[in-house]
Amino acid sequence: MDATSLANPIEQVKVSHGDGGSMSRIMAIARNAFREAVRDRVLYNLVLFVLLLTAAAIFIGELSGGQERKVIVDLGLSAMLLFGTFIAIFVGVGLVYKEIEKRTVYAIFSKPVGRGEFLLGKYLGLCLTLLVNVVVMGIGVSLALMYVSRGWDPLVLVIWPAVFLLYLELMIITAIALLFSSFSSPALSALLTFFVFIIGHFSSDLKGLATSLGSTSARWLFASLYYLLPNLSNYSFITPAAHGQAPAAAFVAMTTVYAIFYIAVVLAAATFVFSRRNFK
Amino acid sequence: MKTDSIKTNGLVLLIIAGLIAAISVSRWIDAHRGPLNAGADDESLYLNGKTARRISLAFNGLAADWYWMRSLQYVGKKIINLPDNVELDDLGQLNLKTLAPLLDTATTLDPQFLDPYEYAAVVLPSVDVNQAIRITKKGIDANPNAWKLYQHLGYIYWQQKDFRAAADAYGRGAAIPGAPTFFSAMKARMLAEGGSRDTAREIYRQMFEQSNDDSVKDMARRRLMQIDSMDERDVLRKLLTAYQTRTGHCPATWKEVEPVLRSLRLPLVADAAPMDPSGAPYVLKGCDVELDPKSEVPGK
Repeated sequence: MDATSLANPIEQVKVSHGDGGSMSRIMAIARNAFREAVRDRVLYNLVLFVLLLTAAAIFIGELSGGQERKVIVDLGLSAMLLFGTFIAIFVGVGLVYKEIEKRTVYAIFSKPVGRGEFLLGKYLGLCLTLLVNVVVMGIGVSLALMYVSRGWDPLVLVIWPAVFLLYLELMIITAIALLFSSFSSPALSALLTFFVFIIGHFSSDLKGLATSLGSTSARWLFASLYYLLPNLSNYSFITPAAHGQAPAAAFVAMTTVYAIFYIAVVLAAATFVFSRRNFK
Repeated sequence: MKTDSIKTNGLVLLIIAGLIAAISVSRWIDAHRGPLNAGADDESLYLNGKTARRISLAFNGLAADWYWMRSLQYVGKKIINLPDNVELDDLGQLNLKTLAPLLDTATTLDPQFLDPYEYAAVVLPSVDVNQAIRITKKGIDANPNAWKLYQHLGYIYWQQKDFRAAADAYGRGAAIPGAPTFFSAMKARMLAEGGSRDTAREIYRQMFEQSNDDSVKDMARRRLMQIDSMDERDVLRKLLTAYQTRTGHCPATWKEVEPVLRSLRLPLVADAAPMDPSGAPYVLKGCDVELDPKSEVPGK
């Protein structure tokens, strides 16, 4: 919530008077974070995505030897993850920093807004931005599939569970970006979040190292890292989706529960760190 | 105001002129310099499949598509300089040494991606048969219920005239739930008459019906035409031999044997020459018959 967003009189009243309790304050901050992202032209990436998919749908048939449906799904969902990760990292790390840099955070905390509410609002605002992004991209992939199939394609239904898992992954990355940005500079936060994204996809190697090493302390170290870092490989269902395989309902449910717990822990840690910062 | 407009127009003109100049210079450089990296296509891959899979994070499917398309482009670039009637299963002359690593990497990145296995089974045997068998077996290990892979393996062994191994592959494919009934028949046929034309016809017919790849379908279609043409040429040779026995000389033109050709109900062109399955006229050479050089039917 920068100076321009605070200029919105309705939100200002809501934030300043705290009517409706904590949830309404969080939602007001979330709405403003979403508007801020829209104003910052974050959703412009959708234009690039649409161009990419259109080009792929038209030209990929000639290059892929009849595998255009698979390539459309791989390309579409991979681009969704890549663009989403960049938004989560680069917008996520600036959420708090910008407020501090522009000193608007002082104005916000002079009102009855808790630090946790502020962080949660910011987080939900970016998640809403990512949700819009992911849903529009999912519709784009579905339309591209129907274009190359010249009509209805059963893959259209199969990709949505994969899109949901991908969105959960982006929510986790956003939470991590927010945690780092609560105590570090944007550049370092972006770097650290990117490292977590990479290591999160190597989680099976961490587990393998934890079980195969001879040294007990090393085993403990890697086992701790395996459980501390997010297991993002659980959310990679792009390749099976391209082959028409949907994840089992139980798997989706458990990965959702894992994401909720993990995000809760990360946001709690971010709140803990952020509440110790002195803005007086 | 007017100054602003002049400035804007000047800048737009400068951008357009600059772009035209840059493109012209670039085209001149391209025209006057040799290939940037001759032989780059044949360079060994920097990454093996396992490493590529490890570093591709969640993008392994997309990376597999990339390697798959690279494989097609790699073969396509080499084929483009060959005559039109070169067959996909006879590319040994092209020195496709990078094809096996490309297909291997694509299938390691996405083991469920079946088309690269089919391509390996069809194209690789003429380049490196051991790699073709290894990649197909890798596919079977990763997709034990994919009966198509047993069909590919059987095809490779059949090409190598290892009919017992081919029969074994078809037999194992037949045991998979949902496998077509022709698997059992093919097993028996491989053991009884693996080298016959009927077996070859059946193999290519199944390949034509089962494949999703247009280039493989086209190759199977042309091989089927070739087998039909072999049968037709056998009949024509018998006919010509009989004519020679009867008259003491070979016919100078197809007109001389037209009544017999008509009785055989072979499609004829205007000068009574019989047509091969692609619609080109057979060429009479004494008492022998050959394919027209323009025919679509493969010569070998």
